Amino acid sequence: MSARSAILALLACAAVLAPLPWLLSDFLLSLALGCLMYVGLTVSWSMFCGVTNYLSLATAAFFGIGAYVTAWGADALPYALAVPLGGLIAAAFAALVGAAVLHLRGAYFAVITFGLGELVRLAITYYEKTYEGTVGRIIASQPEQYVVYLTVLVIALAAVGVAFAVRRSRLGLALAGIGADEERARTLGVNTRRIKVVAFSLSAFFAGALGAAMAVRWTYIDPPTVFNPFIGFQTVLIAMVGGAQTIVGPILSSIVFSLLTEFLRLRFPYAYLILLGTLLIVLVLYLPGGLASLWSRRGSVRA
Amino acid sequence: MNLWLELVVSGLITGGIYAVVAIGLNLQYGLMRIMNISHGEFLMLGAYLTWLARTVLHADPLAFLPVVALALFVAGLLVYRLCFYRITRTAPTVEVIEARSLLVGFGLMFLVQNAAYLAWGADLRGYSYLTDPVELLGVRFSANRLVVFAFAVGASLALLAVLRWTLLGKAVRAMMQSPTGAQLVGIDTARLHPVVFGAGLALAGVAGGLLSMIYEISPSMGEPYTVTALIVITLGGLGSALGSLLGGFLLGVIEALGMHFTSPSLKMLLSYSVLIAVLLLRPRGLFAR
Repeated sequence: MSARSAILALLACAAVLAPLPWLLSDFLLSLALGCLMYVGLTVSWSMFCGVTNYLSLATAAFFGIGAYVTAWGADALPYALAVPLGGLIAAAFAALVGAAVLHLRGAYFAVITFGLGELVRLAITYYEKTYEGTVGRIIASQPEQYVVYLTVLVIALAAVGVAFAVRRSRLGLALAGIGADEERARTLGVNTRRIKVVAFSLSAFFAGALGAAMAVRWTYIDPPTVFNPFIGFQTVLIAMVGGAQTIVGPILSSIVFSLLTEFLRLRFPYAYLILLGTLLIVLVLYLPGGLASLWSRRGSVRA
Repeated sequence: MNLWLELVVSGLITGGIYAVVAIGLNLQYGLMRIMNISHGEFLMLGAYLTWLARTVLHADPLAFLPVVALALFVAGLLVYRLCFYRITRTAPTVEVIEARSLLVGFGLMFLVQNAAYLAWGADLRGYSYLTDPVELLGVRFSANRLVVFAFAVGASLALLAVLRWTLLGKAVRAMMQSPTGAQLVGIDTARLHPVVFGAGLALAGVAGGLLSMIYEISPSMGEPYTVTALIVITLGGLGSALGSLLGGFLLGVIEALGMHFTSPSLKMLLSYSVLIAVLLLRPRGLFAR
């Protein structure tokens, strides 16, 4: 897709999606919000992980950090400031951690990043209990629902736009090089360490901003809610199912899965997760490139 | 003095369990880079099997352990055939095997854990077994903890002996060093892979059975053990069963001491600090030569 048509597509999406708060019922709007949140999370996840084949489960950590920025700043910080700040702090955290653990690959990286969420969750729980004497926090001042919706829309579209831009940039080429063969990329003069840290914290920025934006949806937040590892798992799963190498794949599967989650997870929580697990196994075994690979395979046959 | 002894011994007891879980995971990973992240889930299944045997059949949990091991061994053969066999066959490189097996592991984790929730609910389950206190070196322990320790260490040492002194063990060690090399010298890797994978799960099941004798069990009990096992493998070095045993003890003692002197809620924080420190300073394991 050329740069111009990508920008046009984004603007068209914005034009269609922006008026929704005034057209839809509250229930449908919250569905749309869920879809947008996962679009943002999965696209920003694939931006780094899909291309480089690093399996990061840290999304929950970044999301939770963002949410806690909103919660802690609730009285002092206006919403419009809390959201970018949440993103920035998550990105700074990602850069710090990334510098330490991004030389690991495979299972180690996955497990460390998974542990990261748990670690931050435990640290915040401990801090709140010991120094603040509370478990969770009530967010008293909430912005209007359309403000939340538009904010999440902007973040999601920005994530998609940045993903397109990164793909066409030197950074994107370097990331693709790392994904194909890290040794070779380094030999060819790519500063792999710096590239990885930059891309990792860029993707964390969006997860953090989304966390900060979504935090006001819960009136009461506590660490188990916002650091729920399920957020990280679901992000990976959706991106993989859609095809983490692509941008459109994760977008489409985000929409499908958010709707599925909304309807099935609350009614049959365990059966839904069993289904997700089975789906993941079958997909990895028989369609490792995700649903998008079906599409591109057909396309290449046609071409 | 007594306090230190008590801390160290209770650390060693936990460490014994860690060792069993970690050796099982290490076997699976060392062979074909299958990172079975659902390892802890099979530990949980072992714990529930033992609990069922105790509460429904009124069987002796210790006598039932071989049955648990056998059941999980068979489950391991099945899981290997259904999931990991295809990955090892179709993936182009070792790295791809690792990445895909990780994802399949996550799928299995969802599957098994939630199936357990459906079957047994989220309540904590337990039974009491050998809870009489025993005095050892001036410190009192409940008998079940000592029994668990003895069995954990016994199982680990037996496995080490098999690996070191039998032909089968030699073949497994050869495969851990080089899968292709092993094939070249005539080791039937296609036959051995599922067996070793099953053995890994059997160890997880035994660890779960042992745990059910001291702690209450729940469907989500397995996850932390997977993470701990990974830390232990990192401590002890990939592919080294002896390293896993020592690493397990070490981590158990570090946790016990750290929890006593800081706070029990910092346990995971402590384990992670150990993991990150080892990964940064000695990525090939503490005992690597």
